[in-house]
Amino acid sequence: MPDRTHDFGHYGAKGERGSEAAARVLDSLAGYIASPLTSPRGLSARLRYLTRSAAGHNAIRQAGITVTPRTLKAWLTGTQRPNKANLAKIDTAYRTLRRHNVARHLLRRLNANGGTRVEIHPLDQSHVPAPHQRVLEYRRLNIRTWDAIIDAWSQGDPQALDSAWIDQIVNLGSQWGKYEYVTSVGFAA
Amino acid sequence: MTDFDAIDALLAAARQPAALPPAEQRRALRQALNLSRTQLAQALGVSPSTIGGWEQGRDPSGEIREKYAYFLTGAQKRLHTPTETPPHPTTDPTDRHSTTAADEDEPLPTPQPCVLCGAPATDQVEGYPQHLHPADCTPQAPNPPDTPHPEAPAPATPPPRHPQPPARHRTPQNQGRTPELITQAVHEALDTHAGDLGAATAELQRRAIPDAMALLDACRTGARYDIVGHPPLPDILRKKSAHGADEVWEARPHWARHDAPPGTTEITALDINGAYLSALKTHLPLGALEHSTGNVHSRRRSGIHLITPPDWDHHPHLPNPLGNREEPGPVWVTEPTLRLLQRLATEPYGPLCDPPVIHESWTSGSTEQLFEKFRQTLRDAREKAITEEDEVTLEYVKSMYSKFVSTMGESNYNRELYRPDWMHIIRSQAFVNLWLKAHKAHTAGLAVMRVMGTDELHIAGDWRQAFTEGRDVTQVKVKDVYTLPAGRH
Repeated sequence: MPDRTHDFGHYGAKGERGSEAAARVLDSLAGYIASPLTSPRGLSARLRYLTRSAAGHNAIRQAGITVTPRTLKAWLTGTQRPNKANLAKIDTAYRTLRRHNVARHLLRRLNANGGTRVEIHPLDQSHVPAPHQRVLEYRRLNIRTWDAIIDAWSQGDPQALDSAWIDQIVNLGSQWGKYEYVTSVGFAA
Repeated sequence: MTDFDAIDALLAAARQPAALPPAEQRRALRQALNLSRTQLAQALGVSPSTIGGWEQGRDPSGEIREKYAYFLTGAQKRLHTPTETPPHPTTDPTDRHSTTAADEDEPLPTPQPCVLCGAPATDQVEGYPQHLHPADCTPQAPNPPDTPHPEAPAPATPPPRHPQPPARHRTPQNQGRTPELITQAVHEALDTHAGDLGAATAELQRRAIPDAMALLDACRTGARYDIVGHPPLPDILRKKSAHGADEVWEARPHWARHDAPPGTTEITALDINGAYLSALKTHLPLGALEHSTGNVHSRRRSGIHLITPPDWDHHPHLPNPLGNREEPGPVWVTEPTLRLLQRLATEPYGPLCDPPVIHESWTSGSTEQLFEKFRQTLRDAREKAITEEDEVTLEYVKSMYSKFVSTMGESNYNRELYRPDWMHIIRSQAFVNLWLKAHKAHTAGLAVMRVMGTDELHIAGDWRQAFTEGRDVTQVKVKDVYTLPAGRH
């Protein structure tokens, strides 16, 4: 695509991909457990969320946790702590399951009343030499259909999320390429 | 050609402001006709308190000024000829707009006061008596004592009324529409609950936040600035934990005077009306906050600043504008607190303290007008509800502005606005307004006994010399009158 940035940050611009910023906002809307995984409270809350349903056990398997039911029970009672590798896998499993559970509700809210307005704050070019700076203003855009974005986000697929996000961002008009990388995006559901 | 027509119309409409009698006569004129402020206010389309302001020396401008001048001149004329009924404006012989265009610019049979300088003139342009040559007109303009004063009985002629209001550049498009949102919501709620006031009030309070956002949207139609609801926030504005606070110090006052001045008998607890409503008028940053360092401050920007507060030596009789902060060292304060400290370091205030030192700032280009229309709409609705003793609307308006301010931060009750910076700034502005009221009482020679929260001010002595009692946002309400226990004297 002609408008895609090839070598972002070559002249010192700072920012992140719009889809990454959007995923962060969606994560904050999903309302993950606030206590960190490293704390006993955070770990047991995640484990309880994962072991409460068949879908949870499925998520554990999908994340590659291959411990015996006995070990899982020991984790839950707190007599045994998962090793580092399994802690990371527990976090992945928890996030996947939570996104999956929240997605349907979130999608309904985002699509309601003709979509949700997204505020796009342009990338930071304060470290770019003046001749290479461009005029970049704050933009806003109403995204009417969030289905593809939410689908990609709930499956944890960054590439699909990025292309779904770009599909919407092109509605900014011919200047959309300037907003491929952003400081932040803002919306609420 | 239309451009030239428009310019001609503009030139014809551009005149010197109508002369008004001095302030002390305005009230006497109105009262001599047995007219109340409210009656006059309705006729002029302003609020009664505005009329009060004009009668105490403020001067209106623009179209309203001409209307007011027309009323005052008419009142003078009527008082000088009390027996005969004044002619109706449309049949008034001095109203030249009923004349045809052919005879409009003919010389006047008798000299009449020129609309530009007030001296007698024999010519007229489009019905306005005036001098045709600038040499006749301008030398008299800087000599008002030479010109016949408007209240002089003989040549007093009401200035001719405009056939239509003069063309204005920007006409507010939704002037009549926005207050209807409030009345409409109240009517709907009363209809649904079949006149049950309690149930209707409860329902209106429940929907106050979305309604306030809808009203805000309606008020921003055609406005210059866009409301940015979800900017990236600096870490100082993020809460440290679910129930924790961020790093901004709002300077909430919590102060009581230790020793009452001798001879104190009773203390009055005053309540500032609609403190958060008035605080909506403040310098608010528009976009995302940008970081800067150094002791520089721009009046065109607003935000949050890390300052070293100055020492405060007046604690025994005047509260510290920074609130009761016990921790020493630099503190993040908001724009209103910073500007207050800077003001107090100037000559007109004493100076009461040294200027604060700014170390870091998170600011953005600011405006004072962002919520201005919204605030005025709510204020007018509140004023109207008070005059009509409409408790339902009053409660509704109250919960609209208070919930709007309290949920505009990271609250999940209002997801359209995530602006903790605005929330802090508006609250600080309310505290600054309260501090300034305490200072006003202090400079008037009263003893300030207690300054608490957003709107509580305890004063010993005759507080009426500094404030007026009432329910208007510019007035104060008496909450309690008490005497100090004997040990406190």
